[in-house]
Amino acid sequence: MPHVMISRKKCTGCHMCELACSAYHEGAYRPSVARLFSECNPTTAEIKGHTCLQTGCAKCQEACPNDAIVTKRITVTPKGFFENKEKVGDSVEGYVLVVDEEKCTNCGECYEVCPTGVIHEHPDREVAFKCDLCDGEPQCIAFCQNKYVYAVDLKVDKKDKELAKA
Amino acid sequence: MDFYQGKVLRIDLSAGTSAVEPLNMEWAERYIGGKGLLLRYMWEEIPPGLDPWSEDNPVFLVTGPFAGTNVSTSSRLIVGCKSPVTGVLNDSYVGGSFAPELKFAGYDLVIIKGRAPEPTVVTIKDDVVSFLPAQPKYWGMKTSVIEQALRDDFDENAKVLSIGPAGEKKLPWACVSTDQYHKAGRGGHGALLGDKNLKAVAVRGTGAVTVGDAKAFLADLYRIHEEYVLTDDNYWVHEEGTPILVDLVNGAGAFPTRNWSDGEFEDAGKINSESFQKIRLKKRACYQCAIACRNFHGVEQGGEMVQGEGPEYETIALCGSNCGIGDIAALMKFNELCDEWGMDTISSGSVLGLAMDLTEKGIRDFGVRFGDVESYLGAPELMATRTGIGEELALGSKHLAEKYGVPELAMEVKNLELPGYDPRGTFGMSLSYSTSDRGGCHMRSYPVGDEIITGDEPADTMEGKAAYNINGQHYSSVKYTGIWCDFWAIDFNQMSQLMKHVWKRDVAESEMEQMGERVWNLGRLFNLREGLTAADDYLPELLLTKPHKRGPSAGRIIGADTFAEKTQEYYSLRGWDTSGVPTEEKLAELGVDVRL
Repeated sequence: MPHVMISRKKCTGCHMCELACSAYHEGAYRPSVARLFSECNPTTAEIKGHTCLQTGCAKCQEACPNDAIVTKRITVTPKGFFENKEKVGDSVEGYVLVVDEEKCTNCGECYEVCPTGVIHEHPDREVAFKCDLCDGEPQCIAFCQNKYVYAVDLKVDKKDKELAKA
Repeated sequence: MDFYQGKVLRIDLSAGTSAVEPLNMEWAERYIGGKGLLLRYMWEEIPPGLDPWSEDNPVFLVTGPFAGTNVSTSSRLIVGCKSPVTGVLNDSYVGGSFAPELKFAGYDLVIIKGRAPEPTVVTIKDDVVSFLPAQPKYWGMKTSVIEQALRDDFDENAKVLSIGPAGEKKLPWACVSTDQYHKAGRGGHGALLGDKNLKAVAVRGTGAVTVGDAKAFLADLYRIHEEYVLTDDNYWVHEEGTPILVDLVNGAGAFPTRNWSDGEFEDAGKINSESFQKIRLKKRACYQCAIACRNFHGVEQGGEMVQGEGPEYETIALCGSNCGIGDIAALMKFNELCDEWGMDTISSGSVLGLAMDLTEKGIRDFGVRFGDVESYLGAPELMATRTGIGEELALGSKHLAEKYGVPELAMEVKNLELPGYDPRGTFGMSLSYSTSDRGGCHMRSYPVGDEIITGDEPADTMEGKAAYNINGQHYSSVKYTGIWCDFWAIDFNQMSQLMKHVWKRDVAESEMEQMGERVWNLGRLFNLREGLTAADDYLPELLLTKPHKRGPSAGRIIGADTFAEKTQEYYSLRGWDTSGVPTEEKLAELGVDVRL
């Protein structure tokens, strides 16, 4: 299963990923509605990345009483280079969890169970919003652009293979 | 409107009220944002000849059109005012994350006037502005402490701009801090905020910055970063950062050492980039910057671990070699103390170096000596609290040296202490300092870039240096409207590619260049209006007439006559009269919309 992770050690706290994420999804820069975030303490420089683990976690999907968190097939082809590229290749096939806004009632069950805190109520629409890997070209990875940093990475875990078989 | 929020937030501390008004878009078009917009608003908002300590003297917080987007390096905020130190304009820049957050809260500009009856903290949550008493809790807090306190008390995602205890005591070089290690350092904004009884401004914004077609903008920015920002030529900033300058400047005999009595420091190798890389723990970035120039270091000092970002080059020079300090751990600690007490390190190191010089020369015993770590580390608290020797040091270099009858020992221009480049090792910096619009400063034009770093210009002649500084001043002026940071060597063409998104039309490179000249002339008019004369475009005489006796710059001297001649050449090339006043023809040509 393809998903995005932020390296605690490598992240510089520039927040470019959040900015690009919000611009892509919201049509304007609004990082308070970004689908991922890097929690940075300015004084200690400690970083904690918050990203969606997609089908590898799926707690939101399990909690949803309305089947509004849908498993969708996806091909992820990040723009530019990223740390894990040599391992996973240019393109990764798999699944992503997306919100079906027709079915979502904004009941909030998923907000309670998300272990990384990356599914929330949208401030303008009464539905949940979450990471959908930008339809296959994650902007967070693209804009983690410094070759000495590459902190936002595409990871793949084996759970997809099980899903693929099923 | 795209890129701008179109709103100005006015804060009246005397009344404890705030108001929102539209941004003057005519000015925004004429001067872009950042420095240009600041100067235009200063012209309008500051009554001519106003006493800088008057409660009517505003402090401005100014963003640029690209704050809050993916444009690398553009998160910078200007803290601006008519400086209580120099009496002229002061635009002090700070990175971190405050400016973008202010944009997300919905404002391009904040104008803070008045004086709160009691110490106050202002919080801004989108359109809700609140005034909180700073006592008993916040007043007196050091900078890292108040930042955390306001994240705990107000909003966990708040970005905090604050003064330390030095600002509360109105120390002339008290600075304004954000994200702990980021300082709007120069010109005494911290003192002015202290005088206004404003301890901190905390902002949280949840709104948006629009840019038109966001996906198209993202695609263009990705390209711009690949082609111009993250290039092999520019990566030194990330790999080393400013400490790279230590070996270069020391090797040119331009490294201020022991109150500028030498241009070469024997212990430079202990505080150079290589030494800092050995104690580097992490790379850090300002908000929205892919370059990530900041170095997070850690070292044991006096039995405790000192951790933090920096010091940057200027701090290494003024608080290191200029104080005879080659002990990297002591330097780290000194930097941390200045950060926490809220003081500019350039002036701190300069004033302390002068005090050491006065002590060593037997003129006045301040109990501090070059290279003595114990007294050195005790000094920041004394300066910040204005106790002990700090009471006198708070005079600043100029007035302290005058008090003891040795004005020649003060290294300042317009009462602002000089940064870390001795003009005897890099001649062009003489005019850079003397003609800088905010006093002794290296960020308006930077002959060091070619006289020392690339070696493309000879460092030991004044030929061509008037024109060089003029070009540099235009470049920095337009750069600071963007606001782009010095660590992206963005050229006029690249600026025009970005401005095309803002103005929704093709932008010529020449427009960018002219914008720089327009802004510089506007600043000159402001300074003249406030009483500046050509006599204020001086350089400490010692730097012009007394050569170093040893080292790479030994024997080199500019000479007072040559300097005076080059100052006139500078005015003339600028289209200014012999008194340094812009001519009507020049102002009309540039489209400057105010007159003396």
